[in-house]
Amino acid sequence: MDLILVNLIDGLVTGLLLFMLSAGLTLIFSMMGVLNFAHASFYMLGAYFGYQISIALGFWMGLLVAPLIVGVMGAAVERYGLRRVHQYGHVPELIFTFGLALLIEELVQFIWGKNQMPYDVPDILNFTAFAISGNSIPAYKIFMIFISVGIFIGLLYILTKTRVGMIIQAALSYPRTVEALGHNVPLIFMGVFGVGTALAGVAGVIAGPVLGTFPGMAFVLGSIVFVTIVIGGLGSLWGALVASLLIGWITTFAKSYNIEMENILNAIGIATPENMDENLFRDFWSLTSPQIADILPYILMVLILIFRPAGLFGKRTQ
Amino acid sequence: MSTPALELTGLKKSFGKAEIIRGIDLSIGKAERHAIIGPNGAGKSTLFNLITARFAATEGTVKLHGENLAGLEPFQINRKGLSRSFQITNIFPRMSVFENVRCALLWSQGYKYSFWNIVNRQRTLTEGADAILEQINLSERRNLPAGTLSYAEQRALEIGITIAGGANVIMLDEPTAGMSNTETDYIMDLIMRVTEGKTLIMVEHDMGVVFGLADRISVLVYGEIIATNTPELVRADPKVQEAYLGAALEAEH
Amino acid sequence: MSDTDPRTDLPEGARPKEQLKTDPTKPAQRMGAGTMTITLLPWIIASIAMMVLPMIFTNNSALTIMNQMSITIIFALAYNMLLGQGGMLSFGHAVYAGVGGFFCMHLMNMSDFFAMLPLPVLPLFGGLFGMGLALIVGAFSTRSAGTVFAMISLGVGELIAASSVIVVAFFGGEEGISGDRTYAQPFFGVEFLQQQEVYYLTAAWVIISAALMYAWSRTPVGRMANAVRDNPERAEFLGYSARWVRYYSFVASGFFAGVSGGLFAINYEILTEENLNAASSGIILLVTFLGGVGFFFGPIIGAVVFTLVQTVLSLETELWAFYAGSLFVATVMFFPGGLAGLIMMHVPAFKLGKAKLLVMPYLKTLLPAALGILGLCALVEMTFHYRHGATGDNEMTLFWTTFDSHTLLPWIIAGAVALIGIAIARKTAPDLKDAWNEANTAGGGS
Repeated sequence: MDLILVNLIDGLVTGLLLFMLSAGLTLIFSMMGVLNFAHASFYMLGAYFGYQISIALGFWMGLLVAPLIVGVMGAAVERYGLRRVHQYGHVPELIFTFGLALLIEELVQFIWGKNQMPYDVPDILNFTAFAISGNSIPAYKIFMIFISVGIFIGLLYILTKTRVGMIIQAALSYPRTVEALGHNVPLIFMGVFGVGTALAGVAGVIAGPVLGTFPGMAFVLGSIVFVTIVIGGLGSLWGALVASLLIGWITTFAKSYNIEMENILNAIGIATPENMDENLFRDFWSLTSPQIADILPYILMVLILIFRPAGLFGKRTQ
Repeated sequence: MSTPALELTGLKKSFGKAEIIRGIDLSIGKAERHAIIGPNGAGKSTLFNLITARFAATEGTVKLHGENLAGLEPFQINRKGLSRSFQITNIFPRMSVFENVRCALLWSQGYKYSFWNIVNRQRTLTEGADAILEQINLSERRNLPAGTLSYAEQRALEIGITIAGGANVIMLDEPTAGMSNTETDYIMDLIMRVTEGKTLIMVEHDMGVVFGLADRISVLVYGEIIATNTPELVRADPKVQEAYLGAALEAEH
Repeated sequence: MSDTDPRTDLPEGARPKEQLKTDPTKPAQRMGAGTMTITLLPWIIASIAMMVLPMIFTNNSALTIMNQMSITIIFALAYNMLLGQGGMLSFGHAVYAGVGGFFCMHLMNMSDFFAMLPLPVLPLFGGLFGMGLALIVGAFSTRSAGTVFAMISLGVGELIAASSVIVVAFFGGEEGISGDRTYAQPFFGVEFLQQQEVYYLTAAWVIISAALMYAWSRTPVGRMANAVRDNPERAEFLGYSARWVRYYSFVASGFFAGVSGGLFAINYEILTEENLNAASSGIILLVTFLGGVGFFFGPIIGAVVFTLVQTVLSLETELWAFYAGSLFVATVMFFPGGLAGLIMMHVPAFKLGKAKLLVMPYLKTLLPAALGILGLCALVEMTFHYRHGATGDNEMTLFWTTFDSHTLLPWIIAGAVALIGIAIARKTAPDLKDAWNEANTAGGGS
């Protein structure tokens, strides 16, 4: 029972982190129709900037300043890069953001090298918050949860209760109309892109110490983020939330409980074959849940695509 | 009574709570030239989209030559003999004019998804496409990218693509939109020639075209047809005058 | 059924395309609208060139590079069947080449069967297995186009690549699967022990595959693939299911990708997870786009150039991937037609006989620009060396000179070259623009 609680917390941390990334991605996609392949790259930049700033000014300054820098960079990318490519269509836009992701990864390697950075949890948070039957829950993880939830509540408030939020919501669906009403839609686009990437930056700053700060981090998380929004349904924020939490919990539980395929197959009546070493399906038989934990999101995505192509909450149905 | 080419029964379409098409019954006979007119926002394009399965109807049926089109995809409906043009020119701008027309011929000449025929070597394709280019008067523009044509030429090409496949029910969505008087006459003449013997359903705003081409006219107002009749009778119908022509006639005085 | 573009609220198919400035009385110059006859001359020239090359470049490393180019060419052409012809962006195409290759490796290890098989036939099996996988995946992935298709391809690609570490029986785990090509049935006495023999086998397959793919683009389904790419809605109203056209293109592309995988198996005699992963998929996208997706020969150029960059440039600098990435982004932003597009842009001037006008302006602008870029690269290299070089190791070699990267002089020189080069280029650019316009307008001037 207690193990379940531990996994719930762990899964929640992962899920919320995923949501921070997929929310920004969804916002950008809903508004501009472009899926920002480089989104996870901004997450990575957040981690690296956070690390760099924390060396000089401490973790908290990093948490404050790094997302701002990332957000400004994101806005610049939109203004000078994406806007230029937009005229050629959606596919070139995707290719551009892909090239950007490539370039950012090379840039990071160029500046900081290929090794993992010693980006650590700040001392003030480096203790055990509480323990559940022997499993200690680090205070940092609780901190991550609080920050994430805090940001969402803030975002939700801005989007639904403020005038700017209303304009953004309107521009999400009818940018031309909003422009005709006198609002500076290009500026809104730039702002949304900047905020979206800044969100990714925040995720990077707080995840860097836990998940590791290294040049491959963008790609590792990036593909999961895309899977998340496909499962949740492209363009749906609620879908992104549900899918993120789902994936966070599924992968955590799969890793924690060692469910063996052999046991499942035996339970439904298929006997273990005699000579396992020669058996063609030996890999299948020896599958354990921790092994496939990381590819479960992909399997889920394929299943959703076959049976419910629009995703769980998808708006853009064909 | 022979089967009507197109028959709409109780057709309704709502987008969320907004009911755009409120129940349409219409029967169009073979080789009839039928125009649909109505004020802006009446739902003319939506009606077209319902018939051609771009949208699914909320209620009601559409029958093509007596066959119910429910659940069919646009390409399936097209294979049954119904073809349409679009309000916003919908051609293949990067292909040559000739190629545009040739693509329109591929299915009807039975090529389907073949990958064992080289299109350039198929004489029936080339001759057929050139014949259509003759009909729509674009032979001189044969090898230019379709996107470089003038607006009226593109509209003519659009019509050419629509009729190329040999469909016997042709639906044209505002074919003369945005054209000058000379261009309109030209297109009108073109339409008359290429739809000879076929069923033509046309959405139009230009009254000159409508009254010159149509055998019968339906007037669509707020998602309902308030009158279906020959041009003279429609013109004289008081309901129509009030709803549609009235304001325009007033303005003319 | 239709997507609206959030920015214009218009149906996707109605987006106005960029207008060409061609003279309506002259025949069109862009590939899709040009003459459609299959001229044999380029193919004959290419075949002869491929036969002659190994006699010019005789050493083994040159042969290896050429083989690598050939494999990449087939893969890139196959990828362009999707991207350029069909408008489908796939982030996971390497799996079809990889799976085809893995199957071929297993065939190599089935000694009884393999001993009966002449080696030249092996890539065919690679193609069939690649096609098989594409048949399965395409069944659900080609329902959509555009962004959704791209995401699906990414997920499926990752799924298969990640599975490769788990399913050791097929993918060989960390070490991959290796084999020996020489145990095949001798082909007219040739056992393919020599690198040159392998080269000719690969070259033959390149010519055959390229010819087949070109022919495909001239068939009804190939033409409709272009149509569906440009305007799926219109294609539907011509009687074609956009979904099925995409599916057939996808399957055909998978076949040729598998062929490239089979050739990889023959050449390197080992397949690993690297052949399947997203990096490989990303590379082929880069290669194809760099070469130019709008022309059939674009991917060929991209494959050749990239292979050279990867093999030759990587010997000179650790930062070659950074340069490749920058070039790629620059291509997307400034010349999305790729290298092929750049080349074909000059066709109008040639046809008007006015290409000579461009020579001097090009020299005056491109030469300084190239020097300026080299200066920038020097600065980049020096920065990298300064920051990441081992402590105490201050010497570095660049452009055939060895110097100390910690002194000021090299930086000043490089910076000056960069600034001056770019400044001159900017100054002469308007003249180039004028010359360009002049060279592209008909009429000899009054």
